[in-house]
Amino acid sequence: MPASLKNLQPLCQLPAGATGRVHELRGTADFCQRVREMGFGETALVKKISGRSTVLCQVRAARIALNHSAAMNILVERLPAPAGKNRIQQCPAARQDPR
Amino acid sequence: MVTPTKSPFADHTPVYALVGNPNCGKSTVFNALTGLKEKVGNYPGVTVEKKIGGTYSQHGKPIKIIDLPGAYSLAAHSPDEAVLRDVLLGRRADTPQPDRIICIVDASNLERGLYLVHQILDLGRPVIVVLNMLDRAAKAGITIRVAGLEKELGTIVIPCEAANGKGIIELRLAMSRPDLPLARHSWDIPAPVAPAVAELSASLIENDGRSPLIARAEALLLLTDQDSVRVAGSVPLNSRTTYILRAWHQRWQQDGVDWAAALVSSRYEAIGRICAGTVQHSSVTGSTVSDRLDAVAVHPVWGWLVFGTVMTALFLSIFTLAEYPMNWIDMHVAALAGWFKHIIPPGDLRDLITDGGIPGVGGVLVFLPQILILFFFIGLLESTGYMARAAFLMDRFMARVGLSGKSFIPLLSSYACAIPGIMATRTIQEPKDRLVTILVAPLMSCSARLPVYLLMIAALLPGDRVPVITKAGIMLLMYALGTLGAFGFAWLFKRTLFKGAPPLMILELPPYHMPRFKEVVEQMIERAWSFLRNAGTIILGFSIVLWALTTYPRHPDPIAAPSAKIAYSLAGRVGHLLEPAIKPLGFDWRIGIGIVSSFAAREVFVSSTAVVFNVENHGGGKRADQAPLRRALADATWPDGTRLFTPLVCFTLMIYYVFAMQCMSTVAIVQRETKSWRWPLFQLAYMTGTAWLVCFAVYHLGRALGF
Repeated sequence: MPASLKNLQPLCQLPAGATGRVHELRGTADFCQRVREMGFGETALVKKISGRSTVLCQVRAARIALNHSAAMNILVERLPAPAGKNRIQQCPAARQDPR
Repeated sequence: MVTPTKSPFADHTPVYALVGNPNCGKSTVFNALTGLKEKVGNYPGVTVEKKIGGTYSQHGKPIKIIDLPGAYSLAAHSPDEAVLRDVLLGRRADTPQPDRIICIVDASNLERGLYLVHQILDLGRPVIVVLNMLDRAAKAGITIRVAGLEKELGTIVIPCEAANGKGIIELRLAMSRPDLPLARHSWDIPAPVAPAVAELSASLIENDGRSPLIARAEALLLLTDQDSVRVAGSVPLNSRTTYILRAWHQRWQQDGVDWAAALVSSRYEAIGRICAGTVQHSSVTGSTVSDRLDAVAVHPVWGWLVFGTVMTALFLSIFTLAEYPMNWIDMHVAALAGWFKHIIPPGDLRDLITDGGIPGVGGVLVFLPQILILFFFIGLLESTGYMARAAFLMDRFMARVGLSGKSFIPLLSSYACAIPGIMATRTIQEPKDRLVTILVAPLMSCSARLPVYLLMIAALLPGDRVPVITKAGIMLLMYALGTLGAFGFAWLFKRTLFKGAPPLMILELPPYHMPRFKEVVEQMIERAWSFLRNAGTIILGFSIVLWALTTYPRHPDPIAAPSAKIAYSLAGRVGHLLEPAIKPLGFDWRIGIGIVSSFAAREVFVSSTAVVFNVENHGGGKRADQAPLRRALADATWPDGTRLFTPLVCFTLMIYYVFAMQCMSTVAIVQRETKSWRWPLFQLAYMTGTAWLVCFAVYHLGRALGF
């Protein structure tokens, strides 16, 4: 298994405060299309804000809530903290973790 | 390259379309441009609101503006988005294809907003980009070089803060220009997709009569969208085009390549390049106000506390503040009926007006204060951005019965009245979830049940010796039963009739705003008017029918008691006919008349009971003094002399009203929203069937326990 894929996990399992890179979208073509257009395209950076069941996350400058079934369909590669921090600086609204 | 376009002002009133993502401030811009000069209706055959407004150019020429539903993309996932796509592509015969398009973009989330703009630029129409909420972007440390963006996009870009009225004059000036530049926008579509675009475009031009520019845009859209959501009133694609589209998708499926994904990402790449040269992020430290508020509002403990407080405030206002205007309306409706009685000589016409029409319309009007308060609160919660948080919090709870957080708002609205609740289900994209929400919404105890509950509680616990808390407890029990019933049936339906994958909810939480009261009030009036128009007309019709049923055939003795007259009427006969069916629940034929007549609206039960039990009801309404009616109910007996309204019967009757579908207006609205008679009839059967079964069980269990 490539080293980068070791950290692959569904978005709902990403710890709060961590940043991940979207690696794969599962589910129907319609669902994939929708989340891609909302900014969750492959390689997009997502910061998890809170939640394990219903997930709250930051993607581009938008705060998006996904229910558990939707978050299970988004596989992300967890990024080490420093890399995520640098990138997320572009989205000032994403800084705080309410939990 | 920028090419000026021919002026649409020359030969007709130019039509502008207003488009943008949800929560980008589109309605604020629309209101600022049009004032209140707007026409709200529906797109024929589809339950999507059509909003058309008018304004004038700087030179006094009229301009028409179509406010299209908010969307993230032209690829349609819901009827709302299908209408947006079809109007822009000129696929709808009922709406003119817009000459020019105004794209509203939230400046604090430019990249995502530009995705829709990028698709719209493909259409080859003159576009004005409005960069809204610049103040919020500035607070988030985002600076946008407007001139740079204009150059990159090749369109006019207007910096704007619509909520503060900034930028509206500049927008109006731009709209008045006869020669808006036409962006010669181009982007690198992935090379392997090009032949598919070319073949589809050719077919769209040849077989579907599209212009070359629209054809290319539509071809690109079809390759990602597959035209999955079609709505009534939109012209379908030619079979040849459909065949070509299917063939390309099959070919890509065989190759195992996802070109739909490639097209989306190539658009985002192009947008990324535009933003790289025009957007600067300063290294602002600290969190935004929205972040700090969200730390509390979506917190697993504090969040529920805030939610509980908001909901308590909402219900307290609905049930306490509304009391005064409701009494006032009731008094005036009664006075109006009295006045008509005074000026029209006795006869059928007078009775029709005073006993049919006026109480019917009054029956709806009396709930208007509650509906207005509900709509005001909903508007306030939407305008501040809290509603999305409430849906987020409720999602976990709703997921247990197989629904998503989006079903929460319709169910909440149904506590006031099921009609606005059912209309609010339009935001639920998944058709099965929408239908389940529609089917269970009338189980939430609406305010029309209140008068019935109040009368039965008064009959159940007479006198002032009973503490208020006991009465409130019974009332709460009824609300809890209804809510449990709604969730129980949602759970059952999602596991049987509407079995499917769990809903996938994706919901944007917009940044918090200070509420814009003017907009909230305008929206409240608009929604309340739509409620009055829908429910008022239906209820008026039914009250007239019901009046005829309780009046004809006339009793041979004109001076007979009202109870004898009603017993002789068709409604009385139906009551008698119904008795064998309701006797197992402890109800007699007179209660049967109450049940039959309250199909018009549940609260009619009180006034018709007053007539049946021979109570002189001053004011003709449910809110009149209930003491005489209460005494009459206490004295009512079966033919064998046993008491009719025992505590158990009162309790059973309340439970009947919790579950039974006793509302013709709801039946009519469900028919309109589902465009079929199957679902409202099913709803009528399952709700009333459940009411009968539950009442039967409660009555006989009560009897067995000695009540």
